[in-house]
Amino acid sequence: MKTTTVTRVSVLLVALLLMAAAPLAAQGENILLYGGNQDIDNIDPATGENYSINAALRSLYDALFINRGSDVLPHLVKDWDVDDAATVWTFNLHDNAVFHDGSTVNAEAVAYSFNRILDINGPPNFRWGNIADENTVEVVDDYTVRFTLTEPFAPFIGTLTQLFVVNPAIVEENRVNSAGVDDYGQEWMQSNAAGSGPFMQGRWEIGNIYEFIAVQDYWAGWTGEDNLDGFFWIIQREGSTQLNSLLAGETHIADTILASDKEQVVEAEGFFLDESSGLFINTIKMNNQGEYTSNVHVRKAIAHAMNYPALPEVQDVKVTLMPGPTPSNFPGFVPDLDIAVYDLDKAREHLAMSPWPDGGFELDYVYVTDFTREEIPGLLLLEALRELNITMNMVPTLWPDMVASCGDPATGPDLINIYTLPPFSDPHAHLYNQYHSSQWTSGAGSFQSCSFYQNERVDELLDQARSLGDQEQRLELYAEAQTLIAEDQTSIWMYTEDSLTAFNDCVKGFVFSPFYPITVLFQDLWMDNCG
Amino acid sequence: MTLRLYLARRVLMLAPLLLGLSLLTFTISRLVPGDPVGLAAGPQASVEIKEALRVQFGLDQPLPVQYLNYIRGVLQGDWGRSLYTRRDVIEALGVFFPATLELTLAAVILATALGVPAGVISAMYRNRIPDHIARVISLFFVSFPAFWLAMIMQTVLGRHAGLVPIGRRFPVIMTPPPQVTGLYLVDSLLALDFAAFSIALNHILVPALVLSFGALASITRITRASMIEILERDFVRSARAIGIPERVVIGKYVLRNAFIATLTVISLNFGWLMAGAILIETIFDWPGIGLYAVHASLSLDFQPIMGITIVYGVLFSLVNILTDVAYGVLDPRIRYG
Repeated sequence: MKTTTVTRVSVLLVALLLMAAAPLAAQGENILLYGGNQDIDNIDPATGENYSINAALRSLYDALFINRGSDVLPHLVKDWDVDDAATVWTFNLHDNAVFHDGSTVNAEAVAYSFNRILDINGPPNFRWGNIADENTVEVVDDYTVRFTLTEPFAPFIGTLTQLFVVNPAIVEENRVNSAGVDDYGQEWMQSNAAGSGPFMQGRWEIGNIYEFIAVQDYWAGWTGEDNLDGFFWIIQREGSTQLNSLLAGETHIADTILASDKEQVVEAEGFFLDESSGLFINTIKMNNQGEYTSNVHVRKAIAHAMNYPALPEVQDVKVTLMPGPTPSNFPGFVPDLDIAVYDLDKAREHLAMSPWPDGGFELDYVYVTDFTREEIPGLLLLEALRELNITMNMVPTLWPDMVASCGDPATGPDLINIYTLPPFSDPHAHLYNQYHSSQWTSGAGSFQSCSFYQNERVDELLDQARSLGDQEQRLELYAEAQTLIAEDQTSIWMYTEDSLTAFNDCVKGFVFSPFYPITVLFQDLWMDNCG
Repeated sequence: MTLRLYLARRVLMLAPLLLGLSLLTFTISRLVPGDPVGLAAGPQASVEIKEALRVQFGLDQPLPVQYLNYIRGVLQGDWGRSLYTRRDVIEALGVFFPATLELTLAAVILATALGVPAGVISAMYRNRIPDHIARVISLFFVSFPAFWLAMIMQTVLGRHAGLVPIGRRFPVIMTPPPQVTGLYLVDSLLALDFAAFSIALNHILVPALVLSFGALASITRITRASMIEILERDFVRSARAIGIPERVVIGKYVLRNAFIATLTVISLNFGWLMAGAILIETIFDWPGIGLYAVHASLSLDFQPIMGITIVYGVLFSLVNILTDVAYGVLDPRIRYG
């Protein structure tokens, strides 16, 4: 009797499992499934800031300008005008842009969105915090908005690709004022959109999946031959799972594929891999105010001790070595800078010119705990510095602690491995926050300014360059600044990580943009016979 | 002491236990160096923004006041919010915890369903081929790391054979069963949606199996050892001598007596599997509490860390209580008290 029951239950379970096999293959016709390595835990344009959040914001909202490939193109803006001093910027908007609730995207909404970012003063405000105040934005008429900056700022347009316009009525509806604290709608906006973008929110399961549904009559139209009906951002934290899902046909795109797995994608039929050079920059910052690393010869000795040629071999992602402070595919790149190469003899020469010609001191190398890609360069350096009689301590550290240590030179590590990504296409976006001394002397240094570099001439050049309207003149100033930065060897410029995004062949319309090196611009994609 | 009284006493004892646990976790999390506020505020945040965030989350208060505020909040159903996502902790736990619980329960059931018969067969055929096979298999499962087995099974069964999904609890493009318990297998049955049940079963099978491997080995080995010990007792010989069928001797007398030790191992394994589910969750994209816990710990997100610790504490205590109760059911000679 018991045996019969067990058999029946077993047969039933097997039958149910066989039934379940069918839906695995069934997928929506034009629903793209994206395997993303990172969560989208905040979609408020005034507070959210990282690559996955940015991918969501670009899909749910519209900005005044848009990055397509390497270009910055007007989006909500029809045309614009700027004064010679690069201070007063006037933008005429398209009059057919509408929010998802049907209301118009007008100058009022742009002004509201900008002021909201300034008021909240969250992470995205680093673009405008020191060039704008409450009087900056002015509504000229329904579709004209003017920005009068507190100081000249030539790369302003580059920042406007990230000025995502929110629907004021919806934000106001969800604004909460409790115990005298006005949240400006932050609580609600964290996981709810109020935009006009090409997609709307669908299922929104934080820490799991996010659904984006296409607005078929999107006001700006669709750029491709066709468009997606929607897409799912599926959080996949494990590289092998991303790869298996892609190759099994359960996802169509996988970001951050491991270099060790790329052959599998290349060899598999029906898939392709994008390996474009990105702008995800790895630098080892040396504390320019540190006991030993304040000496330029010590810094140069360390920089010459780094085995650069080994980096592409040992890292598990494809990397392109940096030719100086700026990557070669970024505006403001200066060719032929005199930068350190791997040469232990030169390293010894520089050390001999320092107060510690025989070494005999210790340095800490700080990197993110369990982040192998940051640990490996440290091990290469450790090996080489031993030859110079310099002891290097590998110090794995939690990211919050690393950030905290960069607040002040006294707590800043001797050497720290940092990744940065310029937020827009202008030398200012890359150089100012890393090399202008105001970024750390206020006592609130960030991980980007963790080399605690201070050079009055460089400060002057960076200040001057950001306020000029003439692009050629600006580039000259940035070139001079970089020459000084390279001479001072403020950091060890390592490499940029190339994109390793894998696609199913049926995904069409992808154009690499160095500003979105990991993700894609979903509104430009479509699917062709994905089955 | 009656069972009801015993249960009441054990549940009452939970309060000081959880209070101690919360105090310990609170102290440790606050003593660890780092600046979670700075990280949550973002790299470009000014001193004023960071300070405002500190005030908003009550982190400007002295530590004892912070702790008392936290406990007061918990008692009123407010478990705080994440510094990073601002998400309500209780809401997040409500989403992630059932996923881990379902995976762990499935793994424990599988480990028990496979491990106990394997242990029984092993004991009955001691030092013969079935015994050797069972021991080699259990040694294999103990020796190989779960994450490696997970990747192999995912690649072979999922990617190449297409028999099971690569991961997740349910296909992304399909709507999961309406939530009652948060356990998809249970919820789909409650909704009488057998198609959803079969899909959920298909998704949980491999992750649960891989998670169960370590427990399966220990359950097999402890069942075997206990069975061998009981099989040598006089009452077993007597039962056989008076002609009681072997099936009854093994099932009713030997296994029941041997099962007390197995039950202890199952109960311990439940805790280990809950804690160890993180790797399996990562590999199979299982949206459970493990990843939530790791993220909270790495970023020193205080409120989620506290919430997770309390939930785990309550669960472990409940499993222990249930195990103690089960002892009495299996062996009436055992007295509660």
